[in-house]
Amino acid sequence: MPIMHPASLQARDLAGVWYIFGGAALFVAVFVYGLIFFSVARWRERAGNTGIPPQFTKNPPIEITGVVIPLIMVIGLFYITYVREGVVDFLKPNPYAVVDVTAYRWSWQFRYPGHSVVVNGTVHNPPTLVMPVGKMMQINLNSDDVVHSFWVPSFLFKRDANPGITNHFDITPTQTGFFHGVCAEYCGLDHALMTFNVKVVPVADYDRWLASGGQATI
Amino acid sequence: MTHWLTTTNHKSIGIMYIMTTFLFFIIAGMLSLVIRLQLAQPDQHIVSPHAYNQIFTLHGTAMIFLVIAPFAFGLGNYLVPLQIGAPDMAFPRLNALGVYLFILSGLTIFAGVFAQGGGAAAGWTAYAPLSTIQAGTGGGQDLWIIGLLLNSAATIMVAINFTATILLYRAPGMTMWRMPIFTWEILATALLILMAFPSLAVTMFELLMERHYGAHFFDPQYGGNVVLYQHLFWFFGHPEVYVMILPYFGVISEVVSVFSGKPLYGYVGMVLSAFAIAGLSMGVWAHHMFTTGVVANGFFSGMSFLIAIPTGVKYWNWIGTMWKGRIRLTTAMLYSIGFLSNFLIGGITGVMVASPPIDYQVEDSYFLISHFHYTLGGGALFAVFAAIYYWFPKMFGVKLNETLGKINFWLLFIGFNVTFIPWFFMGIEGMPRRVFTYPAMGDLPWLNAVSSVGAGIMTLGVIAFVWNVIFSKIEQKVAEPLPDDPWGDSFTLEWATSCPPPEFNFHALPPILSERPVWDMNHPELIKQRL
Repeated sequence: MPIMHPASLQARDLAGVWYIFGGAALFVAVFVYGLIFFSVARWRERAGNTGIPPQFTKNPPIEITGVVIPLIMVIGLFYITYVREGVVDFLKPNPYAVVDVTAYRWSWQFRYPGHSVVVNGTVHNPPTLVMPVGKMMQINLNSDDVVHSFWVPSFLFKRDANPGITNHFDITPTQTGFFHGVCAEYCGLDHALMTFNVKVVPVADYDRWLASGGQATI
Repeated sequence: MTHWLTTTNHKSIGIMYIMTTFLFFIIAGMLSLVIRLQLAQPDQHIVSPHAYNQIFTLHGTAMIFLVIAPFAFGLGNYLVPLQIGAPDMAFPRLNALGVYLFILSGLTIFAGVFAQGGGAAAGWTAYAPLSTIQAGTGGGQDLWIIGLLLNSAATIMVAINFTATILLYRAPGMTMWRMPIFTWEILATALLILMAFPSLAVTMFELLMERHYGAHFFDPQYGGNVVLYQHLFWFFGHPEVYVMILPYFGVISEVVSVFSGKPLYGYVGMVLSAFAIAGLSMGVWAHHMFTTGVVANGFFSGMSFLIAIPTGVKYWNWIGTMWKGRIRLTTAMLYSIGFLSNFLIGGITGVMVASPPIDYQVEDSYFLISHFHYTLGGGALFAVFAAIYYWFPKMFGVKLNETLGKINFWLLFIGFNVTFIPWFFMGIEGMPRRVFTYPAMGDLPWLNAVSSVGAGIMTLGVIAFVWNVIFSKIEQKVAEPLPDDPWGDSFTLEWATSCPPPEFNFHALPPILSERPVWDMNHPELIKQRL
């Protein structure tokens, strides 16, 4: 079964939220399912349970408990959410690398400002985004036509590519290798084929590749 | 036939709504089967990409605007006047206009399939500028927009009618705090519609202006903003989610309390939580937009978490209602327990997706659409079936067969979970929604195959239901006429008149001393104990 393999520093922070929410979800699910199925099994109509049941309608202390405990839980969950989201969304200064990503129907363009490297893809030949491992890369994301969304599942992260608005975010990959990327926002006919590859390489290889204008084999 | 074309009776109009929604349900369900066939394995070509995009657009549009919401309007039309002891709705002719506009809106949307360039293919959310680009979105998209304009007008009409009826047409003794919970939930729904649906009408009108008259509301080249569309759409779209669930909370409350033989536990809390949900739902719309990068994620996330509390109150009260009761496991009650089970998964995953760090992974993925299928399919739709099994004898004078009903329930319940549980894992693994194919990567192929098998099981469940309706209708010809209260020990006023009720509903009303007048009438010895 699929398990998360967070492949960036930011993804590790995001995965932490997943584990906490997953634990809370499991706890609530077991508790409420337990109550529902216990009630149905215990008080279903059968021999020995046929008369008119007690007609009680309220129990204010229990009802208030049923408000207060969830309230405390959601305040806790909100706090975790708010803090972690701040960490992930905060744009740190001095990125090691910068890439301008432009989405268009139905592929992607990756431009490395200050270098003459431009990678364009098509639906049949998806482009590859090269990233240095262990270094922070700032991604500037835009769209040429409709709304798209840049999603690399291994980074546990996506961000919309809006025409007319440039979004910025950081990714610091922690593993070398190939990762699959897709467009997550429905953008028309070939939306399903609007994929790309992410190739995370050692820093030296990245620098060599960039210096060679994207020609060097890495 | 003349009766159906000229009627302004709330019961006939209610049945017109229900029949029409059932027809659209079958069509939208078949569309989803094509989707599951196409996705059963990677790289299939059962339908073309363009056809596929139209199919999921129509599936979503039909299920939301032509099935789940209007079924509740039909049920409300039929039941609200009966439950409050009124002879009809406040504005019978407006009511008839509403149902005609609703039917017309559905026909208009589906007529797009025959337009040049095919039907609408921009998804049920029709994000600009995808939906405003002329190329590739021809007349079908225009018909879709006009259809939704008609639909919003029809919905606003029915909401005005519900509000006026509930506030002004209650029988003597039927104070607000003695209203059945279903009527309360319909009132909360109606007020929510009045706040939210004008935004849909405006958004659709703006889309039309943008497509044909160069309005540039959403065009960044002329100072427009693509995210503005999403704000306007979801300002309607999120309350719409609660328009599709509040009435069904009412259904579940009625069925669970009647078949537990106990009054609804925490009645006041149930009413307050309905209005709390309606109020909060007006302030959470941008949680659909966490990944746009340009909304106040913190605010909308916090507001969304808060909705868990009134929803939790409802669960607490449903369990309290069953507690120490005498639970009769009729098909309607099974569907209600199925609702509690499925909607719980929808609610828990709802809290997860309300957290932006989690949403960054699951927004627009199969995880997210599994979440909302658990709320609207496993939730609302299961309540639709609970309502049909519970009120069918009142509407048509015949009980549906309980054995077939149980087969119907188990097929649908098992099929539903087999279909939708894999989606959570598909989403986490990286499968986006609205794709006509996917790479043969990781666990995606077998998860999709399992899901398609589940869709097949659900189909058998729906066939069992249709068979049950036909079978019971045949059986009716030889059966005795039903008593007023065929379930025995029901609570609310619709069970104090014949099955089906006469044109003006009641020959006489029992005294109304609580929210359970029929129960009080049958158990005079217990009235004192309660008052």
